[in-house]
Amino acid sequence: MKIKYLVLILIGLAFGACNKLDVAPLNIIKDQDIFTNETGVNSYLASIYGTMPIEDFIYRPERGFMNGDGERWQNFMQPGNLTGEMVGRYNVGDAAQGFGFWPYDKIRTINYMIVNFPKYAKAFTPDKYNQFLGEAYFCRAYFYFALVKRYGGVPIVKTLQSYPEQSIEDLSVPRNKEQEVYDFIAADLDSAISLMGDANIRARANKYVAAGYKSRAMLYAGTIAKYGTVNYVDGDARQKGFAGIPADQATRYFQAAYDAAKLVEGHYSLYRKNDNKEQNYVDLFLDQSSPENMYVKDYSMSTGTAHSWDATMTCRYMTADGDAACYPTLDLVEKFTGPLPITNPDGTPKRFNDRSELKAGLEPRLLATIYFPGATLRGKEFDVQRGIYKKFNGTAAEELANNNTSSWDQPDNLVVSGDINQLYNGRRVMGLAGMYATAGNDNRTRTGLYVRKYINYKADQATCGLYQSVQTWIDMRYAEVLLNRAEAAMELGTADKTADALSVINQLRDRAGAAVATGNITIDTVRTERMKELAFEHHHWWDLRRWRIADKVLDNTRFYGIYPYWIENENKYIMLKQEEMGHRSFFFEKKWYYEPLPGGELGKNPNLYPNNPGY
Amino acid sequence: MKKLINSLLVAATLCMATSCSKKDNYAGPDATFSGNLINSVTGKNLLTETGGFQIQLDELSWSSTPVPYNIPAKPDGSFKDTRIFSGHYRVIPRNGAFWPVDTTEIDISGNTTKDFTVTPYMEIKNFTWKLSGTTLQMTFNLFAPKTEGLPRVIDVQPFINNTQFVGSGATIYDVYTGPNILGINANYSDEMAKTTYTITVPNLLSGRTFYARVGVRVDDSNKKFNYSEIVKVDVP
Repeated sequence: MKIKYLVLILIGLAFGACNKLDVAPLNIIKDQDIFTNETGVNSYLASIYGTMPIEDFIYRPERGFMNGDGERWQNFMQPGNLTGEMVGRYNVGDAAQGFGFWPYDKIRTINYMIVNFPKYAKAFTPDKYNQFLGEAYFCRAYFYFALVKRYGGVPIVKTLQSYPEQSIEDLSVPRNKEQEVYDFIAADLDSAISLMGDANIRARANKYVAAGYKSRAMLYAGTIAKYGTVNYVDGDARQKGFAGIPADQATRYFQAAYDAAKLVEGHYSLYRKNDNKEQNYVDLFLDQSSPENMYVKDYSMSTGTAHSWDATMTCRYMTADGDAACYPTLDLVEKFTGPLPITNPDGTPKRFNDRSELKAGLEPRLLATIYFPGATLRGKEFDVQRGIYKKFNGTAAEELANNNTSSWDQPDNLVVSGDINQLYNGRRVMGLAGMYATAGNDNRTRTGLYVRKYINYKADQATCGLYQSVQTWIDMRYAEVLLNRAEAAMELGTADKTADALSVINQLRDRAGAAVATGNITIDTVRTERMKELAFEHHHWWDLRRWRIADKVLDNTRFYGIYPYWIENENKYIMLKQEEMGHRSFFFEKKWYYEPLPGGELGKNPNLYPNNPGY
Repeated sequence: MKKLINSLLVAATLCMATSCSKKDNYAGPDATFSGNLINSVTGKNLLTETGGFQIQLDELSWSSTPVPYNIPAKPDGSFKDTRIFSGHYRVIPRNGAFWPVDTTEIDISGNTTKDFTVTPYMEIKNFTWKLSGTTLQMTFNLFAPKTEGLPRVIDVQPFINNTQFVGSGATIYDVYTGPNILGINANYSDEMAKTTYTITVPNLLSGRTFYARVGVRVDDSNKKFNYSEIVKVDVP
């Protein structure tokens, strides 16, 4: 009997237990915990901003964004090395096919917010809610732009994909046309512009930041439509519109780029805090409060995010650790100056009492971008000298044609060395800042020049080690928006637009301390100005590609440096224009105007075919 | 107990050992695919260089979107690969200095040969050379078999090497090629066809034997060269 009751009680208890298990788990953070309060949304957005594909100091064109990578100190492995604005450890082919960038996991994180956040709209004031949602749209556009500039058309995924709820067939999204992707980016940025406010929050987007990026993206689309229809590699992907934009779309995109750039006017301005134009241009990249900075990325030692720009752009003579391994070319310098005055009318090398005389009268912006021989950093002079001529009796051309061994040039007349400590009659053969006899060693310049842009001259030498630089990366500054505007204006070509381009270019030149342009300017004027203003900021690689001139500019091209020598019997310096020591030959294959889709993704999703032409 | 464990271990070892004996029963890459690229104008092999074109193979036996496999050109205009999986392939010569051709499908097994006929963009005709002292002078005409839609002619380059493997990828570039490039940068015209061009390469090293040729390229997708034949130059 007793047992019977016991069983009944047990059954009763068993049923009752079922009612109480539906309790939200306390160890899992759910949407309503995140999307209903500012702290939650801020942290969610921080997780997105933290993974943005920003091509900053540590970005490498063949390795990617290097988050947490042990080789992320090698800041000299930067895209400038691919273009000839500097030379370093790359040949073009080493990095032209990218690194298999495919950030759809990050895009899903953004889509998750765009899909789910609106359910919690009433938890915020409309302004706050719109700002947050606008940032999500901005971030999604940023990711898609990073994709489209590499691959052309990629699959547009704006819904929330789920597996295993959806079948593999459903998830195998085919490519969209390149034009569709650019239009999608424009639409997302338009949403961002209309939703966001104009408050300037450090390292985050606002209305005008989105407009700035829209000007960049639309300019890319316009030039690809205009020039990609003339110079291209044919193939299935091109025929189907995955690689390439119809030429008749160009004007529409240039107009959109112009309008977006114009929208930013008055909300940011060129940095002009210091009357000394050279110092002003140096500080522009170091002053955190610059009104020119639009979208930035910050670094700190405490979070382990610090970079190594100071340690890897100049030689150990001025730093505490690291190596330099990329050096500006004389070719870039000549974009500013034309041929430097290093040769007399009779062809003999001009004699200098002091190396720093070379810098006299050069454009302040150039001097702020590049360290010339004779410049100083942290109290030390860039005493660049490749060697000593006991005498120099001929012309520069004759000496160079004979590989530094002219007829008057008896054996041992030119003394060079691979050893920094080697002396000749009590004098160093090579400078402490370079140059070696040959390219065997890195760390000291191979062109006679060093990068100055972004170098923190205020830092003590002892603090210029690896992972000790915390200067901000400026991913978008107002100068670029002005250049986007000028280029779009020139491409549109009407009289009022051309006049606008001229006034914009002269704003930049005035700030730079350069001679202002008068009269007719051409598209080449604007492009050269862009190369000068944005040197080493990782733009030129993409510019050469979108203008579709990379295969002409980099056609077995060699780049040059400026080599100082001391002449013993005259106690003077001369400078010779010689091929950079690495003797690299830069060659760009046309198929590299698009990177190949990553092989692993093609294997997973056959709908991504056809791959880009030539691959 | 210990006995039981031991016997269990023995049994497990046997099981695992036998599971290793499964064999890969797919055939290895034992087929050979070879052939030539025939110049449709001359009927001879296309004048090219190592890697001057590729034969792209897409194996359709397993997938309609296979990973492409490329066989590079040999310097005599032929190609050969002795380690190909037998199967059904889509093949196309590509990335060379000739007008695009259509793909063909072919079964490869054993020893398969296939010749492709292509029309080069340009030909170097009436190629002659003479050596005066250490200066090499090469004269030639440019001829385009098909002019309609021909991309702009970029330049003619001299290639000089100290082996008979000479071309854009095997040349003493800095000294002999780079300074002596003949830029053209024009569309092909009747006038161009009538012009006799000369490329002069000075200061060849005395006492050496060089191999020389010239190549012309047009601004197509690949910018590869159409070559003259190779000549042997003994510099006194």
